Amino acid sequence: MAYSKQVMDHYDNPRNVGKMNADDSDVGTGMVGAPACGDVMRLQIKVSDDGVIEDAKFKTYGCGSAIASSSLLTEWVKGRTLDEAAAIKNTELAEELALPPVKIHCSVLAEDAIKAAVKDIRQKRDS
Amino acid sequence: MKVDLMAFSGHKIYGPKGVGVLYVRRKPRVRLEAQMHGGGHERGMRSGTLATHQLVGMGEAFRIAKDEMAEEQVRLTALRKRLWEGLNDMEEVHINGSPDHRAPGFLNVSFNFVEGESLIMSLSDLAVSSGSACTSASLEPSYVLRALGLNDEMAHSSLRFSVGRFTSEEDVDYAIGQVRAAVEKLRELSPLWDMYKDGVDLDKIEWAAH
Repeated sequence: MAYSKQVMDHYDNPRNVGKMNADDSDVGTGMVGAPACGDVMRLQIKVSDDGVIEDAKFKTYGCGSAIASSSLLTEWVKGRTLDEAAAIKNTELAEELALPPVKIHCSVLAEDAIKAAVKDIRQKRDS
Repeated sequence: MKVDLMAFSGHKIYGPKGVGVLYVRRKPRVRLEAQMHGGGHERGMRSGTLATHQLVGMGEAFRIAKDEMAEEQVRLTALRKRLWEGLNDMEEVHINGSPDHRAPGFLNVSFNFVEGESLIMSLSDLAVSSGSACTSASLEPSYVLRALGLNDEMAHSSLRFSVGRFTSEEDVDYAIGQVRAAVEKLRELSPLWDMYKDGVDLDKIEWAAH
């Protein structure tokens, strides 16, 4: 399998790897995928009171393309509002990483992850 | 040997590629459906004229293999043992298949909480294969591993190593070093490893699969 330079870069130097405390009131957590599918992403965002993502952390169990998709996503969401982050399309991630067709689903999972994290923080704040 | 059919690949015992053998039992007769049709060669089982030089090459490879088999078994078993012992002190690392009843040159190991394809990316100097769906054209994990009773997750986390006639102890030690480093690095990235370390029972989680 030929990996793009971008995917290899994220694999060798993943950005924002880590964990936040999911119980914190300013943290939104999105966990998507399943071990049985070979892909699990946990994305966490730290959100300011006015809805801006101050920090993001991820951990991923999955292939190089899955790791790259989630790593790139954490870079993109930092500094964005929740609405902007939730609007990120998997196609943008796939294009940036030059993902081949068989790996597009990795970018879809990353899009799901950010949407789940945004939903989580919104639910926390609404209650 | 009590078999009905047995297939041999020339290249798997260091003979030429593109030639092999199918042993077909005579009594009681095994009926085959021909895949190659034409002149009715080999009692109608396989029509076609074969390449003599390949047959000779394969025959010679088998002769050498028979000569060296007993010694090779011992050497390969020792190399495989060395490989396994270099890996088995890591947490949550499991051999797939029987540890004793297996051909001496192969080792199939699951490294829990790390996905197979991502492991292979770190092992660019080694020729290994994985049972992970990511490395197949479909997204299904290895049906062989499934038949051995592995669940999908363990199949996704597996690697197959082979040691052979030209593998040295240095090669094995190098591989051990590379694999250990890769597993450690990928566990740092893995949410499943995190959860396992936190004492979460992964079987109880309801995953939001896509």
